Amino acid sequence: MGKTNRNIAEIEVLYRRHGAALLLFASAISGDRGRAQDALHHVFLKAIENGSLSRAINKKAYLFACVRNAVLNDAKRQDRNISLDIESSWFNAPERDYAGEQNLRRALGDLPADQREVIVLHVWGDFTFSEIGELLGISSNTAASRYRYALAKLRGSMSAKENSCADSR
Amino acid sequence: MQTPDDEQFEAYLKRFHPIAPESVPALRVGYASRRSVSLGSWLAAVAAIAVVCAVILHFRGNRVVVPNAAHDVAFAERHAPAGPLTMRSANAWLATAPSFKAAVDGLAFRSQTSPLPQGKQSAVAVLSKEKIRL
Repeated sequence: MGKTNRNIAEIEVLYRRHGAALLLFASAISGDRGRAQDALHHVFLKAIENGSLSRAINKKAYLFACVRNAVLNDAKRQDRNISLDIESSWFNAPERDYAGEQNLRRALGDLPADQREVIVLHVWGDFTFSEIGELLGISSNTAASRYRYALAKLRGSMSAKENSCADSR
Repeated sequence: MQTPDDEQFEAYLKRFHPIAPESVPALRVGYASRRSVSLGSWLAAVAAIAVVCAVILHFRGNRVVVPNAAHDVAFAERHAPAGPLTMRSANAWLATAPSFKAAVDGLAFRSQTSPLPQGKQSAVAVLSKEKIRL
């Protein structure tokens, strides 16, 4: 197998392994599922073209950083305020808990963008706070505190929505 | 510092798996086409080797082995059984001849040195003298 084919095979493995978390991350920043998907494809196509991924030491962190840059650049180009599209599903509902999935999506949508980024990176991207700090250009303490705030807000928001759903029933 | 409640809530969140993205077109098409090109070249190489082998075998199978006929005839004339040809002498000759062809040549080219008994004549000689009308 040639070097290029090996690179493509490696990129394919990375895409299969981290694609879902990357898409969620891109969706959480861009607010638009379609744009998130486009940004993700753009990043991987570039990685295939220029082989930059093979030079990265932490490939996963590199991919998340690239996706973030692609989404932010796209938003800058569009010169628009990001409003979160929370109508399309972001998660596979566990045990057909579709209400829970919708609840989580809306609660994530209610979070400030910087907290949403951190929570997605830590919970679904499996990044440590120091890795998140490096990726976002903030200290690991800031990442950790953003996470704590986000988690508290998320829990409060989700339990409030669950209660309101229960009350309406 | 995370509390047990936080950890429990985090575990609850992790139950929701993000939906996988659509596959990148370049990975799907590019890799598949590269794979098919490589498979095609392998198949072409195997086919070419098979054709070359078939041609070689064909020519080897049809090749006429020209024996050293003069040598075999000389050997046959020297060693062919003398006297009248019987089953025994023919078998002995076949067993000792260097090749089947040499044995047959020996039987065909052996000299008819044995004299015919008194009052007998060769059928071939008689037939050659008679004028047969067909």
